[in-house]
Amino acid sequence: MLPEPDAARAPPPAVRVSPELLPAVVVLACAVLLIAATKLFNPGSSFVDQLNAVLVTSIFLVVASFGQGLTILLGGIDLSIGVVVGLAAIMVSTLTNGSNAAIAWVVPATLGVAAFIGFVNGLGVAFARVPPFIMTLASGISFYGVGLGFTSGLAQRPVAPGLVSLMGARVFGVPIPVLLLLGFAVIATIFQNGTSVGRKLYALGSSPGAARVLGLPTAALNILVYTLSGLCAGISGILLAGYSSAATINIGDPLLLPTIAAVVIGGARVVGGRGIYLGTFAGALFLSALETVITVLNLSQGVRNVIEGVIIVGALLLQSERWRRGRR
Amino acid sequence: MSAALSRLRRASPAGGAIVAVVIYFALYAIYASSEASATSVFGFTNLFNNTVVLAIASAGLTLVVLAGELDLSAIGVIAIANVVMATTSVGALGWFGALILVLLIGAAVGLLNGWLVATLQLQSLAVTIGTMIACEGAALLILTAPGGEVNEVIVSGLTGDVFGVVPVALVVIACVLLVWLVLARTRLGIAIYAVGTDATAARLSGINADRTKLLSFVLAGVAYAFAGFMLSCQTGSGDPRASDTFLLFMYASVAIGGTSLMGGRGGVFGTLFGAGILAVMQKMLFALGAASFYTSIFSGIIMLVAIFIGNASSVLSQLKRRKPA
Repeated sequence: MLPEPDAARAPPPAVRVSPELLPAVVVLACAVLLIAATKLFNPGSSFVDQLNAVLVTSIFLVVASFGQGLTILLGGIDLSIGVVVGLAAIMVSTLTNGSNAAIAWVVPATLGVAAFIGFVNGLGVAFARVPPFIMTLASGISFYGVGLGFTSGLAQRPVAPGLVSLMGARVFGVPIPVLLLLGFAVIATIFQNGTSVGRKLYALGSSPGAARVLGLPTAALNILVYTLSGLCAGISGILLAGYSSAATINIGDPLLLPTIAAVVIGGARVVGGRGIYLGTFAGALFLSALETVITVLNLSQGVRNVIEGVIIVGALLLQSERWRRGRR
Repeated sequence: MSAALSRLRRASPAGGAIVAVVIYFALYAIYASSEASATSVFGFTNLFNNTVVLAIASAGLTLVVLAGELDLSAIGVIAIANVVMATTSVGALGWFGALILVLLIGAAVGLLNGWLVATLQLQSLAVTIGTMIACEGAALLILTAPGGEVNEVIVSGLTGDVFGVVPVALVVIACVLLVWLVLARTRLGIAIYAVGTDATAARLSGINADRTKLLSFVLAGVAYAFAGFMLSCQTGSGDPRASDTFLLFMYASVAIGGTSLMGGRGGVFGTLFGAGILAVMQKMLFALGAASFYTSIFSGIIMLVAIFIGNASSVLSQLKRRKPA
């Protein structure tokens, strides 16, 4: 059971569907419907092809949203994700420079740098008591400057072909990114909703004061979460570099706000302590599917943005209605 | 109301805002000592032109943040205001008619945000992402590619100086500050602080918390639109993507200015200096001959420094307050 402040006060309803599971499943269903709907506009394509296309392009958001979800679970936020994705992507392309031999050390080094940025965020939040919003915003802006300094004047370099082919290859007809995506989702779910560390995070998120009294290592948990968020953004950046076979330092910027939207659409509250990973996963998949479907519609960028914005607001609206009914 | 009165005192510049003022003048001193034109009227005008758009937009954001919510829709509203100015200010509407139209649009978007957040209880951080994307789409529908033309009267009139002495942009910033100083002393201003500090307590003491939040979003929307108007005066044309990079720097201005992102503490006075710091820092680094990427690195570091000093000074003032009791 997840610790829930409301459950203590209100008597439990007779049949108790976890209030966290329901929105996650509904959003997931909406995402699948969206993917199926593309067939209406593009009759030539099969459902499996569409599904694969959406899943492959959703992996960046799904991976990065896991970290964002963890920080939001603690009542924090990570605004450095866009920058870390961009830095990881540019690092992979600059350092491998089109050679497969370099992958063996470049990928670990990139992940190390990404995790280090997250670690710095964690230190600032846990020990210096800087509000997460400001800490991650400031570190994001600063590290962006560092990245700009390192890459200014360099010509764009190609990503190692090994990474590029990884994002395009198939095993038994299933694209490798889809397998990576599913594997990641399973590990993330187990971590957030199946381990004692995960339970401690919920405890810390729903009541930091009580968690401290219980003797939970609050500083260590904060640092862990922000480090993981940096690491996830790093993974996302490496995959993104492989997928686009080239990288710019701004490549991750469009991912930042969708990570927040994905977490909240999945049923989390930004004050912390609520939401499950399946919800975040569903939210990320939903947003990616929406993006793909809207692209298929062959509309102007302006109309696409308006539709996307309205649907995000609509998804949140459904959430809140359900949330209120759940509390009644 | 005594609690509300003590909150009123917080509206006057203190704590974090003082830190921002000190940092601002320190950076300005370094800038002025290495760049001769910094102290000329031309230098002033240039500096304040670089400050004014961010300052006005961040001032609007401050109201929402003080009320305990977050708003990401600003760049969408600025984009709409910019393209509307670029398409209508030359025609029959005239620049003043276009300005009124733009402010109304800003108020409408603010009203929508406020309704979604205050009335429907949606989470502001997420829902304003939606309205921001939709607004950017609307801006792209009005003007698909950079272009258009802004009325020459305001392009030259609002970027120059008054009688060759005072930059117009400085006058505009001063007007924003004046509006804020009046607002902070009205019932609404006090209610914004009360709601941001503790919405439940504010409700219990008879403040309509939902209405207060709604109005703070509306005022913020108007401020974003006005920022978009000033941006149009400076660029002289429309670009639906011109405001894309503003968002994080708006939050940086608010944070550097000593406003707590949890709501209830801070004020527009500090925010204006926060925006000023970001502008003068860019000038200073350029004058010192530093590469442009140092601007980003320093922005982040200054944010953290301002927060540290702000935190330390508020802890000190709390200790002082406790002693006589």
